[in-house]
Amino acid sequence: MTKRRLGVFICQCGGNISDFVDTEQLRQSIEKNSLVMVAQVNMFTCSDAGQQNIITEIINKNLDGIVVASCSPKLHLNTFRAVTRRAGLNEYQYVHVNLREQCSWAHTHDKKAATEKGLRLIRAGIAKVSLANSLEKLRVKTLPHALVIGAGVAGLRAALALSDIGVGVHLVEKNHHAGGMVLQWGKMFPNDKKGSYVIKHLLNEIHRRENITLFTNAELLEKTGHIGDFSVKVRLGNNDTISLKVGSIIVATGFDTYIPQSGEYGYGLTGVITLSEYEELLASSMETLQYNGKEIKTVTYIYCVGSRENTKTDKPHLYCSRYCCSATSHAAKCTSEMNPDIRQFHLFRDVRTYGKYEQLYEKARNNGSIFLRFDEKSPPQVKEEKGRLIVRVKDILTGGEEIEIDSDLVVLVTGMVPRENAGLVNILKLPVGKDGFFNEIHTKLRPVETVIDGVFICGTSQGPKNLAESVTSAMAAVSKTGALLLKGYVDLEPFVAKVNADLCTWCGNCAKACPYSAIEQTIFNGKQVAIVSPVLCKGEGACVPTCPKQAIDLEGYTNRQIESMIDALAKEVINEKTDA
Amino acid sequence: MLKVDNEFIEQLKVGKDFNASACLNCGSCTALCPLDIELLPRRLFRYVLMGAKKKVLENTNSIYSCMLCKMCEDNCPAEVHIVENVRSLRSYINRNVYRLEKDSPVKKSRSKINHANTYK
Repeated sequence: MTKRRLGVFICQCGGNISDFVDTEQLRQSIEKNSLVMVAQVNMFTCSDAGQQNIITEIINKNLDGIVVASCSPKLHLNTFRAVTRRAGLNEYQYVHVNLREQCSWAHTHDKKAATEKGLRLIRAGIAKVSLANSLEKLRVKTLPHALVIGAGVAGLRAALALSDIGVGVHLVEKNHHAGGMVLQWGKMFPNDKKGSYVIKHLLNEIHRRENITLFTNAELLEKTGHIGDFSVKVRLGNNDTISLKVGSIIVATGFDTYIPQSGEYGYGLTGVITLSEYEELLASSMETLQYNGKEIKTVTYIYCVGSRENTKTDKPHLYCSRYCCSATSHAAKCTSEMNPDIRQFHLFRDVRTYGKYEQLYEKARNNGSIFLRFDEKSPPQVKEEKGRLIVRVKDILTGGEEIEIDSDLVVLVTGMVPRENAGLVNILKLPVGKDGFFNEIHTKLRPVETVIDGVFICGTSQGPKNLAESVTSAMAAVSKTGALLLKGYVDLEPFVAKVNADLCTWCGNCAKACPYSAIEQTIFNGKQVAIVSPVLCKGEGACVPTCPKQAIDLEGYTNRQIESMIDALAKEVINEKTDA
Repeated sequence: MLKVDNEFIEQLKVGKDFNASACLNCGSCTALCPLDIELLPRRLFRYVLMGAKKKVLENTNSIYSCMLCKMCEDNCPAEVHIVENVRSLRSYINRNVYRLEKDSPVKKSRSKINHANTYK
């Protein structure tokens, strides 16, 4: 192999790195390395000028590998891959070193040590790139069909939108009927449409579409294959199973309602009901509001039941459920519109009727609802006394005085909790967050993608949302699916295992170690050897250490590369000024 | 302990003659009051909304010390008709506490109402 010609570009990140790491000292040390033709420090390497500079250097100095030492590769890996490509170099001849998140930001208290660590990190980058092979992305065909799991409002809306853009849909629902939670709801905020009406409207349209198949009483049993080309098995009814081929999977499995424990705010007493039960009562009442044959004159709502349990120690739900303040304000509005003489007391902690829903809160207040604010540490007490429901609360807004409200009905505003779905999590290997909801890759920038390529999440399966937000995220999942499937192919990272058939003697260890069933037996030059399916391989490397002949290696992370990186990281820094 | 007194709420015609449920408890009214009446109107209005009869009647003097200048009302972000509310409270007290009839001579009522020295 001819001697490599490398370029190293060290970024100051406008001080984020250079305030704590002596970048000039690093440059001087690195420059001494005989493989390094160019070593530069830039204020912002990711800027247009910084990128153009790299391209110029690659061309002028005829570089065959580069190291960029800047921020996390999560941020700019693709930026500099594109730069490398534009300069006519294979993009895998570029190695990223994280000098910010993993060095300067982590060691702001010790500049000398941070600089020393920075040097080691860059040395490792140089070691890796000097042994890098040029790789090509793996291109696989995608099927124009999607599997949508869950036929609630998010799943139904996603199915229709996929159908609109020409992606065929298999819509799988566990229950006997489609519609999910929304189907049971009465008038919903903000426009008073009934849940059943919304669902009926969507279902009518679903049945009209030829490229949507709805399976009810069905469940996903198995998933194999890879992004763009999954094979799934679905149980239909009690005994039948069906095999389907899909290019991507959208998970829209929804939430569960928090069910208060017996005795929690008087739950279990007659007249203590949840918000959804109250909404049903409202929807079925005409002129007077009655419960158990008794006319309702005073309603007391208790907010944040099962949400924002910051002081609870046993399995607390720490998050805000987002929909409840608006939904309760809306229920109050509907109540006063039906009968303005009904007195309504709202026992809240903070009102979060964000955005346009603020108008519901305002309407509720203007219509006579009274809001009493309590502290989580002194929650309201609900007791039954002489057949009446007595609610006692310390109201911050009345100077912390204890108020006693004689109520006909106590409505517990219950939050959303994650749905137990261990089977599905296991089949799809879905990432579950601390709160029990499914996790996206990035809350802001990649809000519906998961770490499993080709599997998207939307709706309340990923956290509390109101209906509009659920549908918005469903649309986002559809657009990501469309972008993936309608292009016809997908390029995968070429970091896959590769078998050296000359060394392999087929013991089967690697095939047993592989969690993706990507390794099979084949015949090469008259002997049994292992072969890796590059599209099934995830490149996680479980096979590599199991091989007794060291015949299997991971592209992009070869044993030689890793060993030389370890050497480079461990090599002592004697004198930073002269040593490289 | 303040008990919500539904009967009192109905007598005061809360929601109709007296309307303060839109109050956000921001305190602009208290801050702006030229007479520095601590109780008025924010805390007092809460008492009325809660139907806390005892608390309201305990503070009769404050209710009568307001000069109805509308400084608070003009600046109320929730557009509560504060002065109208104070008037309706006075009307309730006149009728139910002082037993003033509609046609009673003003002189007679003055002798009964002793609200001097309430400006703290």
